[in-house]
Amino acid sequence: MSESAAFRTTVAILAWTGIAFLVFPVLVTALASFNEGYFIEMPPKALSLRWYGAIGDIHRIGEAVLWSLLIAFVAALLATAFGLGAALAIARHPLPGKPAITAVLLSPVTVPMVAIGIALVQYFVVLGVAFTWWSVAIGHVVLVVAYPVRTLLASLTLTNSGLEDAARSLGASRWRAFHTVTLPQLKPGLVSGFLFAFLISFDNYPISVFLVRGDVTTMPIELFNHISNNFDPTPAAFSTVYILIVSLVICAAEWRYRIVSLSIPKT
Amino acid sequence: MPGSGMDISRPGPAAPVRGRSAAAWASWGPGFLLLAPLGAFLVVFYAVPMAGMVVESLGWWSGDADVRDGLTLNQYFKTFDSSRALGAILRTFRISLITVVICLLLSYPIALWLIGAGRGLRTAILLVTFVSLAASLIVRNYGWLIVLSDGGPVNGVLIALGFIEFPLRMTYSEGAITVALVHYGMPFMILPIYGALQRIPPSLRDASLSLGAGSWRTLTRITLPLSVPGVFGGTILVFAVSMSAFVTPLMLGSPSTAMASQVAAEQLLVQLNFAWGSAIILTLTVATLLLVWLYARIISKVFKIDV
Repeated sequence: MSESAAFRTTVAILAWTGIAFLVFPVLVTALASFNEGYFIEMPPKALSLRWYGAIGDIHRIGEAVLWSLLIAFVAALLATAFGLGAALAIARHPLPGKPAITAVLLSPVTVPMVAIGIALVQYFVVLGVAFTWWSVAIGHVVLVVAYPVRTLLASLTLTNSGLEDAARSLGASRWRAFHTVTLPQLKPGLVSGFLFAFLISFDNYPISVFLVRGDVTTMPIELFNHISNNFDPTPAAFSTVYILIVSLVICAAEWRYRIVSLSIPKT
Repeated sequence: MPGSGMDISRPGPAAPVRGRSAAAWASWGPGFLLLAPLGAFLVVFYAVPMAGMVVESLGWWSGDADVRDGLTLNQYFKTFDSSRALGAILRTFRISLITVVICLLLSYPIALWLIGAGRGLRTAILLVTFVSLAASLIVRNYGWLIVLSDGGPVNGVLIALGFIEFPLRMTYSEGAITVALVHYGMPFMILPIYGALQRIPPSLRDASLSLGAGSWRTLTRITLPLSVPGVFGGTILVFAVSMSAFVTPLMLGSPSTAMASQVAAEQLLVQLNFAWGSAIILTLTVATLLLVWLYARIISKVFKIDV
């Protein structure tokens, strides 16, 4: 037995309204990027690819993207390594106060990002350490570490710890058993945790704006500055390229590692 | 060197320990060791800086009238006296509340529809949700800047339909901020609700329908109550994300629609008033955590579930 046709139609209409809302600004941005003129017109009077050629004219955008790639890579790598240890400890080992530990590890997501930025900038000033790209990366690790912890915990509850025990009892060393039995099972959790940590770091503005000094700059900071000072469609072209790349990466990760089902929260 | 990182590797309040025997400590060893790197990192770069910010907020700023030595609550009094700071905090609360409600209304049907959708379509829509989550917030806000602009598609349609003669000014307003925040929050709402709906055994719904309850009654009596944990998770996330909004009001708002994070950041970056900036952002943080805690208590009382 299933729901009435009227019920199903109503749900479908409401759902597609929501999905349209979700996709609409992305489609409009893509359309705007093909505008011929300097001011965005909807629909465009004439089409052109000239704003794609102008992406390079955004102030320092090349270096900013390179800095962001470096910072996001280091932050995601550290967060995933830290997260792996913490997730293993919580899922596989006896520990006192596990709910409290888990709550603290996941808390940076609920604390306002500006608070993390403000706290760290004062801390570095008091310590008297120089601001480098490392300062930015450290701030990002604090922010993103919750994501690998979460996906790895989800991954660990799906894997069978009996397999590792079996390998151990058949004579494999602890490291070998972990390396050849458990680690391959954790791959989807590692990949999606790393990916989300990377993307969130790459896109961060509220923490970076406090920690970026001197030579260092990041993609979101330069993009934000350009949008604040100009009305031309260059950011639309940049955004379209960016969303295309992100879509390709996420689809590839889903196709290879099934990251979607892993990231559905289990309350 | 087992145990060398034990003390610093225990973040958070000490849990009540029953039977703290030598055997128990030994069995905790490997767990502590695995937790130690992240624990140490978060103590050094998260807990201590946050504590430092609390201390800073209890101090004087060199520009304050009547500067004295020692700790003071002056910065907090200033926060509640200043119409700009207090106004921003109240506005942040109001916008967040509206955002959560609209977000829930838009997201629940999507999650409900996903449960019944075919496998291919479901994966496609979940991927769209993921891309939306991962696509840069600045990029998405920029999209809304175009959509709501004077020459944008919304004004275009309204003019074409003859509702208005001249474009409406929609950007740089609380409404624009709310729309963009709803868009930002939707993936955070869809995924937990979908997760909760997925765990409801289909047999419950079938039983209700076959016993003659009807589709709508089944929704309100079976599906909705059982999806409360997902709704709870989603609403908490969207509320927290909206309360800490910073980039969105910067891009889609104006000085008169400033939200709390913006006012705090401005004190730091423009006025170099670290003490007051810290006090404002801490007031926001504590208010957010308190409201989330209160909400959790109410939900668990009303629906008799552990959250």
